[in-house]
Amino acid sequence: MEDFHMKKLSRIAASVSVAAIAACVSTAVMAANIFVVGGKPDDPFWSRVKMGAEDAGKVAEAQGGSVTWLGPQNYDNLGPDAAELIRQAIDQGADAIVGPDWVPEAMDPAFKAVVDAGIPLVIYNAGGIEAADKLGALNYVGAVDYKSGFAGGEYLGKAGHQNGACVNTLPGAANIEAFCSGFNDGLESTGGKGSVLQLPATAYGNATAVAQAVRAHLLQNPDIDAMFAIGGGDTNATVSGIAQAGKSGQVFVCGMNFDDSILDNIQQGTQACAVDQQGYQQGFFAVSILNNYVNYGVTIPTREILTGPGVVDSSNVELVIEGVKAGAR
Amino acid sequence: MDIMSAFIRRPATASVLSLIGVLLFYFIFGGVDLEKLGGAASWLNYAARIGIVAIPVGLLMISGEIDISIGAMIPAGAMATAIISGYYGLPIIFGILGALGIGVIVGLINGVLAVRTTVPTLIITLGTLIAMQGIVLAGSVILTGNASVPLSAPDWAKTLFGQLIFGGSHQVVIIWWLAFTLLGWFILHQSRFGNWIFAMGGDKVSARNAGIPVDRFTILLFVLTATSASFVGMCHAILFNSAQVSGGMNDIFNIIASVVVGGVLLSGGFGSVPGIFIGTITFAIVNKGIDFTDIDRNWSSLIIGVMLLAAVLMNNRFRNMALNYVPRKKDKGGSAK
Amino acid sequence: MSLGAIAIRPETASVVGLVVVYIFFAAFGGAAFIGAPGWSSWLNIAAEVGIIALPVGLLMISGEFDISVGSIVPAASMTAAIISGHYDWPAYVGILGGLGVGALVGYVNGFLVTRTAIPSLIVTIGTMFVVMGLTLGLAVLIKGSTSVSYVPDPITKSLLGHFINGMFNVSIIWWIAFAVAFYYFLHISPMGNWVFAIGGDRETARNAGIPTRQLTVGLYILSGLAAAFVGIAQLMTYQSAQVAGGQAFIFNSIMCVVIGGVLLTGGAGSVIGIVLGTMTFAVVNQGIFFSGLDSNIGSIIIGALLLAAVLSNDGFRALALRYATKKK
Repeated sequence: MEDFHMKKLSRIAASVSVAAIAACVSTAVMAANIFVVGGKPDDPFWSRVKMGAEDAGKVAEAQGGSVTWLGPQNYDNLGPDAAELIRQAIDQGADAIVGPDWVPEAMDPAFKAVVDAGIPLVIYNAGGIEAADKLGALNYVGAVDYKSGFAGGEYLGKAGHQNGACVNTLPGAANIEAFCSGFNDGLESTGGKGSVLQLPATAYGNATAVAQAVRAHLLQNPDIDAMFAIGGGDTNATVSGIAQAGKSGQVFVCGMNFDDSILDNIQQGTQACAVDQQGYQQGFFAVSILNNYVNYGVTIPTREILTGPGVVDSSNVELVIEGVKAGAR
Repeated sequence: MDIMSAFIRRPATASVLSLIGVLLFYFIFGGVDLEKLGGAASWLNYAARIGIVAIPVGLLMISGEIDISIGAMIPAGAMATAIISGYYGLPIIFGILGALGIGVIVGLINGVLAVRTTVPTLIITLGTLIAMQGIVLAGSVILTGNASVPLSAPDWAKTLFGQLIFGGSHQVVIIWWLAFTLLGWFILHQSRFGNWIFAMGGDKVSARNAGIPVDRFTILLFVLTATSASFVGMCHAILFNSAQVSGGMNDIFNIIASVVVGGVLLSGGFGSVPGIFIGTITFAIVNKGIDFTDIDRNWSSLIIGVMLLAAVLMNNRFRNMALNYVPRKKDKGGSAK
Repeated sequence: MSLGAIAIRPETASVVGLVVVYIFFAAFGGAAFIGAPGWSSWLNIAAEVGIIALPVGLLMISGEFDISVGSIVPAASMTAAIISGHYDWPAYVGILGGLGVGALVGYVNGFLVTRTAIPSLIVTIGTMFVVMGLTLGLAVLIKGSTSVSYVPDPITKSLLGHFINGMFNVSIIWWIAFAVAFYYFLHISPMGNWVFAIGGDRETARNAGIPTRQLTVGLYILSGLAAAFVGIAQLMTYQSAQVAGGQAFIFNSIMCVVIGGVLLTGGAGSVIGIVLGTMTFAVVNQGIFFSGLDSNIGSIIIGALLLAAVLSNDGFRALALRYATKKK
């Protein structure tokens, strides 16, 4: 740490005027450049996480530090791309790094390199406290994908809908598979059973393709009365597919995460629930924890900060809508 | 002045100018730290990943054909390696041979269809692209029950294909990329095969009449593009200890864009390996360099698009200048270099 | 029409392909696939990609490509959602805004393709990236989010996002209307021959007095408008616009066109062929979910179909040429 202060001080001393030094010295001691690795910028869920991280970053910036968001261009090559971004954060001289453990085989060596370089690390969004412990990270912030799926399955199962299918539009992504297996286990815990509807990769992001696939699946499997989908777009399309199959009111849907249209669905009763990982909080907490740790040595004794799963249904949807309006969710 | 005009005649010129333009843009508007960018591995690793495929794709485009099945071949190579050596536990050499073998087979199919039918190669390779996407996805699910397969490679394979070098984050694939580039440069600019490629791209019929084995050479080029793509996939599977299925649609556009920024004419007959090399670096810096700037990453696609259009417009202008300039000097070879 | 004349029509292969594929999936899919639910299922898919495939097919007949449709779909959808959902303007303003985006991108494509010597494949890859970047950047700037919801008024909904009988999307009717209009344009109006002429030989066409430049720009505007229309219809149907997505339309539309017998070399093809190709594509895409097979096998079938279409095209062309020479 000492070395770091000296470098920072000498760089500042060399480049700015005397007056500025006086102003900066007091802040230079606490200037954490935090790098956050996350999803692609046009992903609705990740744009919330990014906003949370950037909002927490305003504190870091006020103290002279910064928050830089690194995300892949697409999800074609998820594990390697994310591992690359982690190494890039090291190369860019990060003082602290936040990253999700999506594909452990591909990404763990890069996380180990972060810890070996003495850079404080927080794992968030995927991996759980187990991954954080294994990698030597400070903490884990986020929902556990499996538990989130489980919450959805349990919710529907307890409501008496026990024959489920989970829609997977990103075959191969470890976190989506965890959501789905959690959902199926959640159903089983209430005495139901679940299955997975695999869509070809070309359906990703195309609402009509998802809706029609859901509809065909329901027509071929008339016993299904519970469905689970990941992300606002897919969930919305699933709701539409159910309506087109003439099964509104017979097949009940829960989805991961929400956006405005999902809240509309819940208000109108076309969707039973949304399981919220509270992405804004994931970004916000992870960055805040690291900023305080780097700047002031503050450690958070609570290990595994779970931001979810929180279930949004007709009982609390109005409150959530208020939160969205305030920009806090 | 003579140096200037000689510079402008080269296919690589526009890519050099694009590179300078991009760096200037990032420097002025993004406040990029060039020293940090130069030392960083991320864009070099990315350039190597697309560059290994871009070299043979560039040669193929100079010969007047195109291959978009490469998009599916990168994940196909990775999955083949991981399924054979990870899931079934066979020695890694079988995984490597399996990945390269798939490349050879798909390349042969593309090539044979290209020379036996009158159908444009874009459509033929679109067919193999979609079919390979399905085969890789369905194959992995049917064989392993999973769309993501772990792999642990022995040390020698890691050293050769999947290691980090220079004690940091640079991948050994970069060395392979340089080797591929040198090989491509030798083939295109130093051996007689290079003249064949230019001749095929210029006019297939007269090339055939001149005694060039056009059909066999076209098939060979298709085998090279597909195999280099599966090679990249194989290296990635070994480096990242796993392989996942994916569509690979984005790689297609990225690789074609790199080649075109590098001054290769899509309709064939014009281009150079140094151009492709610099075009790849330019594309990689546009794509990965934005992380080193203050510019919001949300705008990266916009910058890529504008850079691509600007580069091809420049290429166009310079190519016309080059083609108009050549006859006066009576240097027929000039247009080809 | 004699047997030979039927065999050499470009649509014949497409009809055979469609029938074979339909029978295959009917055998696997059972009653649900043969009945109205099955029909509406694949027709809904066909309508969307079909509306884009029509102008893309015409462009291909005239020897050009349009990759940018993949980014126009979400761009138009987002524009309409921001205008009518975020700013609360009337629906028709949002619709016009979305269509305007499509027309503008189409015009830029056409301008660049006709004024420079850059191949249209590259031009439209470039505009695709530009439009993708602008959509994302502006959506985040304006809305602070990459998804915008919009609840259309009942009239708009019934025109653009309604399910007839609860299953047939109203876009099927739009698709039929588009197909009729394009049929008239290509096969009845004099301009149709111009399209074929440009595809055959641009120089000769220009020398023959055909306004090749205006026609090409016009075709690009049409494909931009069609893609924008699909984006708007998706917004009205699902009541939400997403920045991501739409990329699937790029290759899907080209595949429909090729399966329908249009050659990339330009100069040949028909609107009926494109429609049949789209139906074949949609039957495979949806049939797979009724069949109980692994959904990825659908991709293998489509890839094989594409290659078969390509090979039979060659076969039919050879047959046609032989037939023509025999007649002489």
